[in-house]
Amino acid sequence: MDFFNTIGLNHYLVISAILFGLGLFAIVTRKNAIVVLMGVELVLNAANINLLAFSKYNGGMEGVMFGLFVIVLAAAEAAIALAIVINMYKTFNTVDVSSIDSMKE
Amino acid sequence: MMHSLIQLSIIVLLLPLLSFVLLIFFNRRLPRNGDFLAVGILGATFAISAWIFWDVIVIGYDPSFKLAWSFNWIDFGDVPGVGPLQIKMGIMIDNLTAIMLAMVSLISFLVHVYSTGYMSGDKYYGRYFAYLGIFTFSMLGIVLSDNLFSIYIFWELVGLSSYLLIGFFFEKDSAADAQKKAFLTNRVGDIGMWLGILILYSQFHTFGFEEIYEHIKAGDFHMSQAWLTAAGILLFMGCVGKSAQFPLHVWLPDAMEGPTPVSALIHAATMVAAGVYFVARIFVILTVDALHVIAFIGAITAFMAATIAITQHDIKRVLAYSTVSQLGYMVLGLGVGAYSAALFHLLTHAFFKACLFLGSGAIIHAMHHEQDMRWMGGLSKKMPWTFVTFTIATLALAGLPLTSGFMSKDAILAGALGFAEVEGGGIYYLIPILGFFSAMLTAFYMGRQIWLVFFGESRTHLKPADEHHGHDDHGHHEVHEVPWAMRMPLVVLAALSVFAVFSPDPLDGAKGWFMHLVQTPETVVAADVQHENLNNAHHDASVAQGENKGASAETAAVEHVSDAVHGAEQENVHASVAAAGHSVVEEHAAPHATDDHGDEHHGPVFNDPRQAAIAHAAHENHDPAIMYSSIVVALGIGLALIVYVFGFINPEKTAQRIRPLYLYSFNKWYWDEIYDATVIKGSLLISKLLAWFDNNIVDGIVNGVGALVRKFGTASGGFDQYVVDGMVNFTAFFVQTSGAAMKKLQTGKVQTYLVMALVAVTGYIVYYFVQVM
Repeated sequence: MDFFNTIGLNHYLVISAILFGLGLFAIVTRKNAIVVLMGVELVLNAANINLLAFSKYNGGMEGVMFGLFVIVLAAAEAAIALAIVINMYKTFNTVDVSSIDSMKE
Repeated sequence: MMHSLIQLSIIVLLLPLLSFVLLIFFNRRLPRNGDFLAVGILGATFAISAWIFWDVIVIGYDPSFKLAWSFNWIDFGDVPGVGPLQIKMGIMIDNLTAIMLAMVSLISFLVHVYSTGYMSGDKYYGRYFAYLGIFTFSMLGIVLSDNLFSIYIFWELVGLSSYLLIGFFFEKDSAADAQKKAFLTNRVGDIGMWLGILILYSQFHTFGFEEIYEHIKAGDFHMSQAWLTAAGILLFMGCVGKSAQFPLHVWLPDAMEGPTPVSALIHAATMVAAGVYFVARIFVILTVDALHVIAFIGAITAFMAATIAITQHDIKRVLAYSTVSQLGYMVLGLGVGAYSAALFHLLTHAFFKACLFLGSGAIIHAMHHEQDMRWMGGLSKKMPWTFVTFTIATLALAGLPLTSGFMSKDAILAGALGFAEVEGGGIYYLIPILGFFSAMLTAFYMGRQIWLVFFGESRTHLKPADEHHGHDDHGHHEVHEVPWAMRMPLVVLAALSVFAVFSPDPLDGAKGWFMHLVQTPETVVAADVQHENLNNAHHDASVAQGENKGASAETAAVEHVSDAVHGAEQENVHASVAAAGHSVVEEHAAPHATDDHGDEHHGPVFNDPRQAAIAHAAHENHDPAIMYSSIVVALGIGLALIVYVFGFINPEKTAQRIRPLYLYSFNKWYWDEIYDATVIKGSLLISKLLAWFDNNIVDGIVNGVGALVRKFGTASGGFDQYVVDGMVNFTAFFVQTSGAAMKKLQTGKVQTYLVMALVAVTGYIVYYFVQVM
């Protein structure tokens, strides 16, 4: 079967989808805010893989450029998200996202 | 640049207003309640008026003198369909104005002086002088006005001040009633006057006297001649009200409820004469028909009031009816065309009647408010000053020779005789006959009054005890002469009732300065619209010319008239001047007459044949008038002597014998009762009908509408409560319920939201693919 012999676009997309699913799973199920953040990083990187794969098979530089932007964005996001987590800890004395529901009602 | 006389007259006009303003606001803070201020200001008013009088009358001595100044008071701009429209205010000074100014301010000044004695100790002393001030202001305003509009304003102002002063003792019911009566009766006349003004204004768009004369003369009156007659009679209605002419005379006798000096000033000398003055101002626009109405009203008034005065007991009421009667003479004089005679009588009457009223005030003052002549008597020794002045004024009123009243009354009666002659006799002779008869009655009732008041024994003790009105000290005081403040005006006014003031010849007022300076103006109503009497006038003028050929000494007027009528002999320069149409006052007349005929005749020269004929006939009848009036006055005085002095006829028994007549006179011809039964009852009935209509129909409609609106309101309220509120409430309920359900979704946990977003996106994607496939 061709799928197993040559590595093509679909492989990248499958990997990316798996990575995306894992990321989402981490975001939705983990209680630790840091782990949720890591899930977000996984999702972003799944998107990056997609961008690069399409870029390679399309033959242009747009996807690469977009990927670079996403990396920069992810770095900024991580910085801000970590700051939020620190503040969260300062306020609630925990980083467990499921126990923080003061916005309820 | 205003003429200095105009400036002076404005000062004269405003000074009494100043007196009013100062006294009405500050009288309680001023020493003596400010009476010295009022008297001083009025003194100044009189001094300036006398200055004007001196300038115009003594220095000027010009029959055609006229000075006018006016300004735009209200400018309506260019009114669509009418053209430029303004209302002007202004001042006009002619000889009559100058004389009236001096007369009004002199009498007002004297009354002020007199009042310091008469009213001293009154509760509202200061207010009294304030009212006198506003009265004098408005009266001078009437005299100075040059247009109908401002004369109407001042007309109402004198009505107001008259109202205030009649009811000055307003705590008395009778005074309050009298002031209301005076005001309402005057309103009736004033409405007519206003309608007359509006008729003229609708035609000419101006109120100015001179402009109206010019317009009528130029034939700008586009309605039928009956309208001009109507306008004249309506304007005359103002005079009927203000000058207490029949049938609106009823207020004046009741006005005697006011303080006596007020009666002298307002209800004898000035305000009531304003009506006559006003008719004189509109004299030239009156048609022959209007003049006839005026003449008959005057004659009826003169006669009726004289018959009433005979039987009255109240000293002031006798004088009041005498005033009505004399005003009737003046109106009669104007009606018959004896313009200058009527105004001459206005002037002489003002002085002697003011003197009589002030004299009666002195008597009332001395008698401690006793006004009933039955309880007087024998005052001549106790009050010599009052007696002498009162007698002089009485002689003037009765019209005895050597007095001013003689000259003016005879001039009017001569005019009436001439008028009757020119009008062709018949019913028109009623006017002079009533005039002569009234002259006799006047002599009689004044003789009665003099005798009852001053001669015989004092009858104070005869007064029934129950008629005493509350004065516990009544009748215990000695009667004595009044103070000098009250004596001085009497002396001045009595002196002004002597012939020498007005004319060098005691038998002929026409030789005096007044008749020379105030000459009958020529009518501006075109001759061809004067009705058929014109033919009589032609005839008379022709006859006059025939006489002229026989007797060399004939009047200039006749020459002019015959020339004007025949219109042929142009070689007579003066006549052609007259024929060329010098209208209002023929200024060449006086010098011309003097040149040709010495001082035989000073009268004006008329183009209008009727006026000319009347003037001529009046002149012819001068001597007969003197004769008749002397006879009737002698008869009247003789009758008074027979009845009251010699006692040949007992007045009480005679009164019993002719009881119906006596009662008719004593009850004032029952006019009050007639008005009570007709006008007052009638208007009360109408008022009741209207009240019923108001209570039942109008209120019913209003209440019905109210009930309807209430019903509708209830319905609308129900709709509001159940439908509109229901919708609002349901919206709130729905939002609340759905909110309660939806808030369960809001867990506050970030992952729940994320899952929801995932589910939503997944759901959308699934939906998308289902759609695509």
